[in-house]
Amino acid sequence: MITGTGITKVFRQRGGLLGGREVRALRGVDFAIAKGGSVSFIGESGSGKTTLGRIVAGLETCDSGEIVIDGVPMSSLSHRRRQPYFRRVQLIHQDPYSALNPTRTIHQALEAPLRLRAGQTGRSRSWIDDRAEELLAMVGIDPGYVLPRYPHQLSGGMRQRVVIARALTMDPEVLVADEAVSMIDVSLRLGILALLRDLRERLGVGVLFITHDIATARYIGGDGELYVLYRGQVVERGATEKIIADPVHPYTQSLLSATPVLHGLERPGAERVVPREMQREGLPDGGCLFARRCPFATERCESEMPVLGRYGGEGTPAEQEHACFHPQRRAVIPVGVGE
Amino acid sequence: MTAHTAARHPAARDIEARDIAAPGVRIRDLTVVYKTPSGELPAVRGVDLTLAPGTITGVVGESGSGKSTLALSLLNAVQPPGRIAAGTVEIDGLGDVLTLRGEDLRRARGSQVGYVFQAAQNSLNPLKTIGKQLLDLGRSHDVADLRALVRDAKDLLARMGMDGARVLDSYQHELSGGMRQRVGIMLALALNAKVVVLDEPTTALDMITQATILRIIREVHEERGLTTLVITHDVGAVAEVADSLAVMYGGRVVEHGPVTEVLGDAHHPYTQGLIRAIPRLTGDLSLARALPGRPPTLGTLPTQGCVFRERCERRLEVCETDEPMAVNRDGRTVACHATDRHLTLVKRKEFV
Repeated sequence: MITGTGITKVFRQRGGLLGGREVRALRGVDFAIAKGGSVSFIGESGSGKTTLGRIVAGLETCDSGEIVIDGVPMSSLSHRRRQPYFRRVQLIHQDPYSALNPTRTIHQALEAPLRLRAGQTGRSRSWIDDRAEELLAMVGIDPGYVLPRYPHQLSGGMRQRVVIARALTMDPEVLVADEAVSMIDVSLRLGILALLRDLRERLGVGVLFITHDIATARYIGGDGELYVLYRGQVVERGATEKIIADPVHPYTQSLLSATPVLHGLERPGAERVVPREMQREGLPDGGCLFARRCPFATERCESEMPVLGRYGGEGTPAEQEHACFHPQRRAVIPVGVGE
Repeated sequence: MTAHTAARHPAARDIEARDIAAPGVRIRDLTVVYKTPSGELPAVRGVDLTLAPGTITGVVGESGSGKSTLALSLLNAVQPPGRIAAGTVEIDGLGDVLTLRGEDLRRARGSQVGYVFQAAQNSLNPLKTIGKQLLDLGRSHDVADLRALVRDAKDLLARMGMDGARVLDSYQHELSGGMRQRVGIMLALALNAKVVVLDEPTTALDMITQATILRIIREVHEERGLTTLVITHDVGAVAEVADSLAVMYGGRVVEHGPVTEVLGDAHHPYTQGLIRAIPRLTGDLSLARALPGRPPTLGTLPTQGCVFRERCERRLEVCETDEPMAVNRDGRTVACHATDRHLTLVKRKEFV
């Protein structure tokens, strides 16, 4: 179990005559990833979703807030003492092409972390090779074919599976998958997503899935939770299927509206939402963060900042939180032609 | 949105009135080979593809399907170790591009055929402002009125929702991915090219940015009366923007037709598999699955029979030996032995 409360992160850029500029990457994010559970963070670039993944994986520290792993608050430990905890969280990068050392065979890439693991758990040398084969079989590739090969001899999908196998060498409790399928051919994406779902079920590994494509979050498995992140703030949160079917925040609706419609199989939703302007730097911080782009913004939105909660009252779905003064259901997702 | 909807019905469109200048493009029997240690291997083989004037054609395929090589052929720009081995690429008003050489070819590129390269950030010069690159482009094509060129470019950038003057003064690193992509489109159109090729125009962009870029492509295409080719691995992206859809596999066009028909009622097993593999917001999760196997590379392509047979669930004996011919019926082209059988009722009884 990993929880985060009130996670904030500010990046300060140097340079310029008037001193540095501040970018608030995360503005008080709360989340919880249960054993074998799945949590998806959705947002555009600049939403802070990658920063959050790096903080959860221990590659970045937060400015305030607390990460708690298995009941132990990380801020109470020295940098050194934290390492065993963060080892239980493994990060899978977006780019399987640069995540593997091109001068090492897959066997070498897996052997090094496994040797470390064997030392930690008091296992013998012979365990290492067996485990390497076992892990590769687990991620759905033929160990005999892959082990002696170099990364460039494998396809993108295979490489991503190797990266996942390498992450599993540490027996992690949580995998942080940051855009793990965005560089894989669309035809093979479902295979990787099904693998992550399978690992959740078989090994009880929790998955923190970070993506800009909401549709892929559905395939990580049922009972998943979806967090919609915008400029460092969670603006909508709830069960994945529920939010996709019944979004009430205009930003979530914009994201869903932007998903391509497969004309011929689907018709566009009747109330697709298009932001008034494109994402850019330097949008104002006062009021609702989305107000400037929101087609439904009112005066209140310009001056007051909504926090994650339930503003909608009766009309909005239960167990679904949003940070919007004017939540409203809208039919934004494509409808099947036959329906 | 209205323009978008109208374009879904090519037959109902008043092509004459709006697209007088839009040229047609006819690719015939195009074969492009690459030199490898095991001899010359075809990346594109015997491709026939017609881009109707004033339409957007989407070419979809996995990596290694030959789609980018096909697109480069429109500029006659296949680089060694690649070589165009056979075929013609006829563009109205320009003739067969593959016979153009030297100065004629250089002039055709940019002024007749605009090209938006994959990963726009890599095709911009990091040392020069966008405006300077625009002027370079103008000078290399002997544009007499450079002021007009800059004015047009600013208009076009404004049309795409950007501050033209600011963008022209910027270096590429000062622009976001979506902005660079629009700059790429501006540079491809600056010399008034009527045929435009976009290679993976939305890869690596956010959803909302992707939707915006696709809308811009559609609108600029309509306004300027272009003939457009969009190359992508993402069926969804092309479904939003294209009139007709060509599906490539192993260097062949295996299916081609109006986009709504190809998606709504795919004939080729590969197209069906591709569509099933798209992560979607609606629909039964259990019906979706990745295509089995992996895309072929030049070295692993079978030399005889159907190139798709190893990943095909409807493989027949004939697929091992004979390459399926592209059959054209009611404006749709399909190259598949199994589909042929299934379409013929008499044959279908044998299977029941």
